[in-house]
Amino acid sequence: MQTTHYDSQRPMLSVENLTHRVSLETDTLTILKGVSLEINRGESVAIVGRSGSGKTTLLGLLAGLDTPTEGTVELDGAIISKLSEDERAQLRAHRVGFVFQSFQLLPALTALENVMLPLELAGMDAPEKRAKELLERVGLGERLAHTPRQLSGGEQQRVAIARAFASEPAIMFADEPTGNLDNRTGQEISDLLMALNQEQGTTLVMVTHDEQLAARCSRQFHIEAGELTEPVAQVELAH
Amino acid sequence: MAAAKKLMSVRRDWRERDVRVVLAALIIAVATVATIALFASQLQRTLVSSASSFLAADRQLEAENGRPVPEIWITEAANLGLETGRMVEFSTMVFGSDAFQLVSIKAVSNEYPLRGDLEIQGATEGSREQVQHGPAPGEVWINPRLLRLLDIKIGDSLEVGSQNLTVSGVLLREPDGGFSLSALAPRVMMHVDDVASTGVIQEGSRVEYVYLFAGKETALDTYYQWLEPQLEPSHEWEGVRDGETFSRSLERAESFLLLGGSLAVLLAAVAVAVASRQYALSQRDTVALLKTLGLGSSGIGRLYLKRLSLWGVTGMIGGLLVALPLFWLLTRLLSEALERPVEFQLDSSALTPALLTAVVSLFAFAYPPIRRLRNVPAMRVLRSQPGETGREALPDMLIAIVAVFGLVWLYAGELSLVIALLGGLALLLGALGLLGSLLVAALRKVRGGGHSWRLALVGLYRHRRASLSQIAVFAMTLMLATTLILVRTSLLDDWQAQLPDDAPNHFLINIAPDSIDEVAGYWKERGQPLDQLYPMVRGRLTELNGQPVKEVVSKDQRVGALNRELNLTWMTALPKDNSIVEGNWFEAGQTDGVSVEAELAGKLGLALGDELTFTIGSDKVTETVTSIRTVQWDSMKPNFYMAFPPEGGLTNMPATWITSFYLPKDKKSALNEFSRRFPTVSLLEIDNIIERIQEIVRQVTQAIEAILVLILAAALVVMAAVVSATLQDRQREGALLRTLGGRQRLLVRSTMLEFALLGGFAGILGVAAAEAAVWALQFRMFEGSFKWHWHVVLPIPVISAVVLSLFGRWQLRPVLSVSPMLLLRRLE
Ligand SMILES: Nc1ncnc2c1ncn2[C@@H]1O[C@H](COP(=O)(O)OP(=O)(O)OP(=O)(O)O)[C@@H](O)[C@H]1O
Ligand SMILES: [Mg+2]
Repeated sequence: MQTTHYDSQRPMLSVENLTHRVSLETDTLTILKGVSLEINRGESVAIVGRSGSGKTTLLGLLAGLDTPTEGTVELDGAIISKLSEDERAQLRAHRVGFVFQSFQLLPALTALENVMLPLELAGMDAPEKRAKELLERVGLGERLAHTPRQLSGGEQQRVAIARAFASEPAIMFADEPTGNLDNRTGQEISDLLMALNQEQGTTLVMVTHDEQLAARCSRQFHIEAGELTEPVAQVELAH
Repeated sequence: MAAAKKLMSVRRDWRERDVRVVLAALIIAVATVATIALFASQLQRTLVSSASSFLAADRQLEAENGRPVPEIWITEAANLGLETGRMVEFSTMVFGSDAFQLVSIKAVSNEYPLRGDLEIQGATEGSREQVQHGPAPGEVWINPRLLRLLDIKIGDSLEVGSQNLTVSGVLLREPDGGFSLSALAPRVMMHVDDVASTGVIQEGSRVEYVYLFAGKETALDTYYQWLEPQLEPSHEWEGVRDGETFSRSLERAESFLLLGGSLAVLLAAVAVAVASRQYALSQRDTVALLKTLGLGSSGIGRLYLKRLSLWGVTGMIGGLLVALPLFWLLTRLLSEALERPVEFQLDSSALTPALLTAVVSLFAFAYPPIRRLRNVPAMRVLRSQPGETGREALPDMLIAIVAVFGLVWLYAGELSLVIALLGGLALLLGALGLLGSLLVAALRKVRGGGHSWRLALVGLYRHRRASLSQIAVFAMTLMLATTLILVRTSLLDDWQAQLPDDAPNHFLINIAPDSIDEVAGYWKERGQPLDQLYPMVRGRLTELNGQPVKEVVSKDQRVGALNRELNLTWMTALPKDNSIVEGNWFEAGQTDGVSVEAELAGKLGLALGDELTFTIGSDKVTETVTSIRTVQWDSMKPNFYMAFPPEGGLTNMPATWITSFYLPKDKKSALNEFSRRFPTVSLLEIDNIIERIQEIVRQVTQAIEAILVLILAAALVVMAAVVSATLQDRQREGALLRTLGGRQRLLVRSTMLEFALLGGFAGILGVAAAEAAVWALQFRMFEGSFKWHWHVVLPIPVISAVVLSLFGRWQLRPVLSVSPMLLLRRLE
């Protein structure tokens, strides 16, 4: 079991014996088996594994988007399964950010409005000003009024990243953020993600098939058929 | 909350197809129901006032006992705020310069008429004018024929009893001309104040005192409640709604309007249900994302509830904005048809059902699928989750169906309508379930291939769930529209059959048996042959099973027919428009028994085998009831309550003959010579009345057509809703097929075929269900007057197949014109 290297604080994320099953028409399928892990504040973690191994399922459970069949997830000091649906939503609004493989922007809203939306939902001040700053930061200062359909995939992912960091989350979840992009654009998006993560001191949990991107994280978890295998040795990064 | 607000704004919503359909459905529903309700209440008022003019009042009180009613009866009515008026009717001889004639006098008070107007001609060459008063004291207005019969002209004087009155006008039409067969002689109208000085009314004269009342319905009711206990058997209280000959036609028109409104409600509900379910499905991704961004499920619930309310308000306002000009237009049409101004009156209570329709269809049909959005798992942002099976929607659907049929009930106030429509729908869905499973079993065997037919069948099979639910909705829509078309057709046919252009518009009464041939010959020579002649014997029904009828039948039943002499007849064959409901018609050679009209039999509680005793002059005739038959009162032909067999109970009773015939306007002069040659034959002219009824029928027909158009528009919206629900899937499939190398022509043909099959199948089911519903409806709402109209319904499946296959072709447009690559991306 992975133990924390920091004594001063509770870990950002701590998972105990997580098991997840889904019932199918004929039998039940166990997707995750007894996963336990801890992730400290400020860490960046990559979850890697073959397709179908359960990465997305694990990420969803870690982020509190779904509740596990067994086991507990403690996110930022709160036991997810003990929270009500609305409390979980509150937690997400204030502490958690997401970046997805398929961007998930609302097609009806402009880039600016897409970024403003979580700020408004979290009840933050001056959402428009903050959203503009962020879009400028991701290099889309000129595209504020454009809708997702008018943007390329890479640009859409920039908007999504701006949206994810807008509410200054304590932890960021990303599911294959570069999966739908070509190598170069993927590289740019990775850079942006890591940079913003660094600037804001966010904890990052990321599923990726991109070995380079995984290597830039401080730790990697390897998952195989729903079970964590020995973590790949911690990679020291030259800062 | 600029972004969140924008996300939920109706303006943005409008850009979404499903929302557009929901809003369009709501607007059309509100508009249709509001227009119909407003117009129905307008029509009701107008027709009642038209009909009231047939009484020259809202109610009449007739005293047939030759005595005026107590003065307090009139003052009480005035106290209740009712307008009142007075008439005295009697027959007498009048004298011109050197001729005399038996006339029927109507002496009226200043207030006459309380409703409607008279048409007179004030000078020999003068024009017709409409007035709302009778002649002044000292003057008379007379039937134009009388001018010639007496050889006098306007301005001459006419001797009525011991008074000389000046003929100041020709009476062309009186509102309450009526066609009760007692008005036998030419009319002379005078002022009631002159009656006493003529001295013609003596003790024992046959005089009828008639009192007119008009005012608010509530005041009339209050007055009648007060009056009723004091009425004697010889008093008759008459309203428009009973007895008047065309009230039945009006009731049917009203029923039609209600049916139309109810169908609008149902169609709206279907459209809203389909579109909002589709909308809810399309919103799942957004909801999952909003949840991920931190909006809780209660927040989601509030958000969509707010949006739903916004739609509701938009639908209501939009619907009213459409309804009001439409209503105004219909009112204009009505006023044109009637050739008189119709007051544009907004009955705000008529709007309630319209607004309720919006609320109920939104909350019963749109809310449930949208409420379930709260349960969309946030996990959906990462991986699409198993979709809804549709099974969880079942209880919601049941509640919704109950709600909407409750609404129909509330709206139409006709449980039978609700049951007929529900039954039709249930039948339809049952048949669909059965046929659907058969179809699926049959189609399973079909394998794809290069042939468009096979591809179409495979397409149907592949989308079997969607196909079945589409067929269900199409069939339902077609059923509702067809029901309305059928009802309209038979309604119009009915009226047409009832009052054809050459409907008999004159009656000849009192034809002596020995002058029948001569009379018939006279009219045959002039090209206007007489209809069937009937003997007529006047008599009273006095005993029922040996008991005096006035004792057996309680006064509450107020059977007018008992108060006056009935026209009894004998006949060999049952008239074509009569039909036996109980017992048997007289057999050849049968001489006993009597056949009673069904409504009267019902009121008197008569059954087969009851013994009826009639007093005819000084004789008594007793016969057993052998059949009960319905009569077409509005047929404008002689109709009889009591019919005897030839050589039966009426043998040797003093009979005269009655008949009717059609006489066009330009041949009316033939009446003068006729009157001179057959002075004892009475003539009843009802051509004016028939013209007015035809006018009313025309205007109601127009209203019905307008409403049919509205309903068909609603049906189109439903169709659009359903088709648009699968639009994306089909386009994506089409694009894929093309990517995989499918030839365009194959794609076009198979898609068109698939839709044609869908449309044809739905059409057949819908028409069958409509026939079932109409069959059920006819008994309750429309008095069994329906005929099957195969020529009307047969084209419907064909049209539906053609229209849908064209629709399918049209849907494919983007698939064919754009490169598959682009399309797939756009449909992502
Ligand atoms: N709700 C569900 N019902 C049935 N099977 C499921 C469900 N959710 C996940 N699975 C299955 O669980 C396994 C793990 O899925 P998951 O999406 O977590 O894999 P993944 O590691 O993210 O794969 P990829 O790299 O391809 O995205 C898969 O085999 C998937 O089919
Ligand atoms: Mg995955």
